[in-house]
Amino acid sequence: MPRSLAYEMPVDSSFFTPLHLQPVAVCRLAFNGAGRWLDRHAISHRRLVAEHRTGFVFWSVQLVPGDPVGFFDADRLGVTVAGRVLGGGTQVACDVEVRGAAGRPTRVHAVCVPLGLDGGPALSGAPARLAPDVLSAFRADEIAARPHRSPLPGLLAAVAAGGSQVAQGHMPFVIHRHQCEVADQWFWPEAISLAGAGREELVLAQAAGTPALRLAMQVPMARLDVLFTRPFFLFDEGVVRSTAYEWGAGLAFVHELTAPGEQRPRALAIEQFAWD
Amino acid sequence: MMIRVSGALLRFTDYQRVISVDAPTVESALVKLAGDYQPLRKVLFDREGRVRATQRVFLNGEPLEPEQLASSAAGEADCVELLLAISGG
Repeated sequence: MPRSLAYEMPVDSSFFTPLHLQPVAVCRLAFNGAGRWLDRHAISHRRLVAEHRTGFVFWSVQLVPGDPVGFFDADRLGVTVAGRVLGGGTQVACDVEVRGAAGRPTRVHAVCVPLGLDGGPALSGAPARLAPDVLSAFRADEIAARPHRSPLPGLLAAVAAGGSQVAQGHMPFVIHRHQCEVADQWFWPEAISLAGAGREELVLAQAAGTPALRLAMQVPMARLDVLFTRPFFLFDEGVVRSTAYEWGAGLAFVHELTAPGEQRPRALAIEQFAWD
Repeated sequence: MMIRVSGALLRFTDYQRVISVDAPTVESALVKLAGDYQPLRKVLFDREGRVRATQRVFLNGEPLEPEQLASSAAGEADCVELLLAISGG
């Protein structure tokens, strides 16, 4: 059976909105949990980078919130993490559950692409299959031949085809160092933060004419999908182009995070909100 | 020529984004740049003195392969852009 790691995390108020756990906080907990799993069961993140010249870049993330959890519900959250290798070493996945005192947990499924680092001080690298010395740290039942395929392209096509566009807006941004990880490259949960900011700006600007948009501030998110194609770096400029659709039994917000002069978004995020 | 630096490379150039370099080719310009900004040397070049494969070099917006750097002449009006495609932290 694949190994997992379970522990408790004392809460602080920054983990929460008035409605539920902050999606960004959950992703930060998931990243920290993945590091804990690696440290306990395989090779620490620091040693992977420093000794094995192996880094990771996040590629696909799905977040499915569970039953609402509030700051006043409990002193601790329960976190369970499991790590796996997919695609025969071309992907590394972590599955994280964050639970309150009762109810369904919030789940994160995140898939990274391993990088072979070039040994330089900028930690630059290129996608590469995990080396045998790293792969040997995983058990056989933690290595799958089949790769993960992101559900986001199919979801995007379904929303565009079956949804009804109700609003569109854009929000420029600049990446600063507090939004980056050690290599001056954005820390991947920033994409979720920027997408959420793009949605909130859209609601503030257009809810007077499109009241249905207010749903996205009144209820917790029902699901989040993110697909990364290229990172933003320190002082890179970008724009969040957000499009809201009435779709299914709620709203879907499609966020494209794009750099000036580029056609292809560097990250795509779809947030879904459901009417009760 | 002007050399444009961005993102994760900025800390190696004291956060200067545009640097003027007087050199006849792109490769000689990169060598001169690394001489003026010593921390950049290990970022741009490997132990054998070759431009690292993870660095992307553009001349007036057109990508250059590593073997083209030495033969690519560049003058005062040209612009070289250095890009780090991806980092692994």
